[in-house]
Amino acid sequence: MHPGIIFLGVVVGSVLFHIFTPWWWTDIASNWGAMDDTINLTFWIGGGVFILVCLFMVYCIFMFSYKEGRKVEYKPEDHKLEKILTIATTVGVIALLAPGLIVYNNYINTPKNALQVEVNAWQWGWQYRLPGEDGILGTAQVAKITDDNPFGINLDDPNGKDDILIEDDVLHLKTDRPVKILLRSLDVLHNYYVPQFRAKMDAIPGIITYYWFEPNKIGEYEVLCAEYCGVGHYAMRAKVIVESEGNYENWIKEQETFSDLIAKQESNESKLTLVAKSND
Amino acid sequence: MSDNSLNNLPGGFKGMSHDMGSDQTAFKGAQWGKVMMWIFLLSDTFIFSCFLISYMKGRTSTVVDWPNTSEVFSLHVGGVPVPLLLIAIMTFVLITSSGTMALAVKYGYERNRKMCGWLILATAIGGLTFVGMQVFEWSKLIHEGVRPWENPFGAKQFGSFFFMITGFHGTHVSIGVIFLFIYARKVFRGDFDNAKRGFFTTMKSDYVAIEILGLYWHFVDLVWVFIFAFFYLW
Amino acid sequence: MSDEYNQKNTPLEAQSSETMTDISGTTSKDIDYVRPAELPEQDLYHGHSFITKWVFCQDAKVIGVQYFLTAVFTGIVGLVLSWLMRLQLGYPDLVPFITAEHYYQFVTMHGMIMVVYFLTALFLGGFGNYLIPLMVGARDMVFPYVNMVSFWMFFIAVCVLMASFFVPGGPTGAGWTLYPPQAILPGTPGSNMGIILMLASLSLFVIGFTMGGLNYIITILQARTRGMTLMRMPLTIWGIFTATALAMLAFPALLVSCIMMTLDKMLETSFFMPAIIQAGEVLDYGGGSPVLFQHLFWFFGHPEVYIVALPAFGIVSDLISVHARKNIFGYRMMVWAIVGIGGLSFFVWAHHMYVSGMNPWFGFFFATTTLIIAVPTALKVYNWIITLFRANIRMNTVMLFCLGFIVTFVNGGITGIFLGNVAVDIPLSDTYFVIAHFHMVMGVAPLMVIMGAVYHWFPLVTGRMLSEKLGKWHFWFTFLGAYSIYFPMHYLGFIGVPRRYFEMYDSPYVASATGMNEFITVAALIVGFAQFIFIYNIVTSLSIGKPAGKNPWKANSLEWLTPEVPPAHGNWGEKLPVIHRWPYDFNVPGAKEDYITQTTPPSEVMSAEVEKT
Repeated sequence: MHPGIIFLGVVVGSVLFHIFTPWWWTDIASNWGAMDDTINLTFWIGGGVFILVCLFMVYCIFMFSYKEGRKVEYKPEDHKLEKILTIATTVGVIALLAPGLIVYNNYINTPKNALQVEVNAWQWGWQYRLPGEDGILGTAQVAKITDDNPFGINLDDPNGKDDILIEDDVLHLKTDRPVKILLRSLDVLHNYYVPQFRAKMDAIPGIITYYWFEPNKIGEYEVLCAEYCGVGHYAMRAKVIVESEGNYENWIKEQETFSDLIAKQESNESKLTLVAKSND
Repeated sequence: MSDNSLNNLPGGFKGMSHDMGSDQTAFKGAQWGKVMMWIFLLSDTFIFSCFLISYMKGRTSTVVDWPNTSEVFSLHVGGVPVPLLLIAIMTFVLITSSGTMALAVKYGYERNRKMCGWLILATAIGGLTFVGMQVFEWSKLIHEGVRPWENPFGAKQFGSFFFMITGFHGTHVSIGVIFLFIYARKVFRGDFDNAKRGFFTTMKSDYVAIEILGLYWHFVDLVWVFIFAFFYLW
Repeated sequence: MSDEYNQKNTPLEAQSSETMTDISGTTSKDIDYVRPAELPEQDLYHGHSFITKWVFCQDAKVIGVQYFLTAVFTGIVGLVLSWLMRLQLGYPDLVPFITAEHYYQFVTMHGMIMVVYFLTALFLGGFGNYLIPLMVGARDMVFPYVNMVSFWMFFIAVCVLMASFFVPGGPTGAGWTLYPPQAILPGTPGSNMGIILMLASLSLFVIGFTMGGLNYIITILQARTRGMTLMRMPLTIWGIFTATALAMLAFPALLVSCIMMTLDKMLETSFFMPAIIQAGEVLDYGGGSPVLFQHLFWFFGHPEVYIVALPAFGIVSDLISVHARKNIFGYRMMVWAIVGIGGLSFFVWAHHMYVSGMNPWFGFFFATTTLIIAVPTALKVYNWIITLFRANIRMNTVMLFCLGFIVTFVNGGITGIFLGNVAVDIPLSDTYFVIAHFHMVMGVAPLMVIMGAVYHWFPLVTGRMLSEKLGKWHFWFTFLGAYSIYFPMHYLGFIGVPRRYFEMYDSPYVASATGMNEFITVAALIVGFAQFIFIYNIVTSLSIGKPAGKNPWKANSLEWLTPEVPPAHGNWGEKLPVIHRWPYDFNVPGAKEDYITQTTPPSEVMSAEVEKT
């Protein structure tokens, strides 16, 4: 069999695989449809180039297989052709790059009305902190973390008092409201990634990183850690529940604020001291 | 070189493109060893650049304040702290040794064995003095409690970067000093005059080796100027 | 080989005028004129005992073979590790000893071995050493002794790396990127001895490579033979030269990050370590920057990709030209593309860090530079296929591997445009799309070139041909197998399957991905075993292969024109060759034969209408 046939088969097979593949995007559940569009655009242009290059190659090996005495072209350089190819490629590259940069510009500029959610990552789990009524998260430091203060919130910072603490790996979000995810890590690199939202960013100990998206589909989504973080990396999952505004408000009411937590601990402590005293 | 055509090459940019476009060698008349040293130094420049850029990043992003360098590095002379005293002497000694090295190269090419040898020895002693003073400074800082992992005066990165970078540079100086002594011995023994074959490489010795060593030595001095500026003057 | 030419060592002028009369003795003095020699003959050390001839040998060709064999040995270790990983992914729990710890150790060692100790060492240490002196017409590398030390440093680096398999805690499981803080903290396998040995081994590799790299660069720049201008060098040499230059400037960043991380680990400095609470315990670190390491690492890591790719580009250009019996199209553009890609590769590193938490504004700059690099790369692809156009293509194993390279490289190159374009990268980064992309573009594609190159140059090294029949089987298994591993794998990335997952559990993705994972695993095992055809072919051909004779492929370049085949120490016998043209004069109109070797003087081919020389 002529090898050209097999190479042709590889190209045709790749195209057929692409058309009939059962594996494709998970349905998008956020505003980042533009990312999918840029990928599709890249697919069309890139895929076209791949097919053309391979078909031209296959054509050449069919037409010009070795034959004694075949007349071969001797043309070391062809400036015109080279110029055309350079310009065409440059145009193609610009066509791919420009939309990408526009989407990226949206990605790094968070809308003003975005709801802030702080994600705390550690080996190997997640917890969340939401700003309270003042809409501002209190400052926090890794060094201040204790059993009583699991987020390391600065006790002097009044903004932190009403922060809502969720010591659980399930996060609720309301639909159609942009969310700014602020990422903190207590130990190593992590990455808060929900495939349906498309967006992701590493959590780095020592600094706060961010990204934003707008969930627009009610449902439950699995969160995967997307930056290798040690042996437990593969098990570092969590859940995001996107729900209607009403359900979200009900959920948020049930959550504990930082001042609730302090109050509870103080009452516990006073109880303990009472117990200790009565034992005397 | 023995080829006459090398004596009247065009100069400037035109000359460079002419050399690059010619056959055999791209750097006309340059010894293999000399080109090697230049390229090695280019690579080494990248090492020191990476160290110094990391230092700048570390210094600007640390959460604890950087110690006041003019206090930390000052010497007490008669009970009065004199900032930059030791370091000024160190720098002076090292730069002077560059001068003696340059003279050694000159006398080497003039086949003045005695002068060349003594100047190399002088350079080596300059280098040794430098390393000695660096040891003194290290021990002073260690005595005051500065360690790679901690620093009583402020950010712990100060100790880490200081010991790592000056240590890496000091290693370069020390290696240079060792080679200077070896080459001084070779010069006095007359290896370069008799084109004696190298013990390991079995290659013939030539006075160009002194120049190559000189290139290394000047580089080490130049790097010190940057370290000096970034650590002591910033 | 005798020492004759050493002892002769006639004065330069005399020697060159002697060569001159040789040439002028034929027909025309003017058209065959080549500038006289600038440099005296190189003084070589000839080994006499077994040890100096074959073990601590200073002959670049032997050193090249030593590099080659050592790299292939580590490559086989890497291959076995990949099988174990694939077994776990395709059939979880089938092999009981593959725990999560071991899985991550396999991932790490596989990656590091393949990128650094296999591909880099093979291309630059192996092909570089063997081919540079032969192709530029030198007697040997310029510093044969340093060259020997370079190999033995590499050998020690490999030993240290392999030793990490046997220390308590095993090798490091930090991922080949070794990102701190995780790499040196408990919670990552091998965070005690394993990571230290890895860092030590990498440092040794860098030191050893610097010694070799200086040799390669200076041999190419300063030890070319008469008539060999830079623009007459085969593209193989251009590729290796540029890659070595990149390595000389990129490895420093790796060495620095290794030193700093070793100090973080052993002296508890905090270069890369911020304040950390691990398992409820406050660690003694604070104030460092993990992102700094990533910048240093990728400042090495991205040029590293081209350190592997550029020699492959160069070699494949030569193979295509020889076996298509046609000059490489656009030689000058090919050279500038190689140099341009090499230069640009220092300005794109942070495209590996779009979601790393670096300043987001960097994304614009690095996406732009990354896509600019696509232009010269695409031009190289066009030139390869245009070379095939109206050629006379020998469909032998070497050519098949070149074609396989083109298909896989174009495929992997285009997925690179996905990942380089920052907005497109965000959903795809850290998924299987990335794995599929870089395996296709810097795994399979360079491997295709390596294998093609082995089929091509085996007759030169051993004097015997490899079996074509086995070679074709080997090619089809490898090419189709590898393609069917990595092409579908992109689609796992689209689903969103993250990389470096030991197990997927019952994620929604699992149901649809299980079948594909099993298929990929089976394909990986088959491709792996197919390499034993190759090894069998090499081993048997050493003794029963068809004798090759001189220049079996009718190539033009210098390495085939040595007086003895395989070439002896000193390469050229009495006199160094004199070069009159570039190495791609195939099927020149008016010439009697379909090739004109580089040493053929113009007076011998008066009727040929040569355009480029």
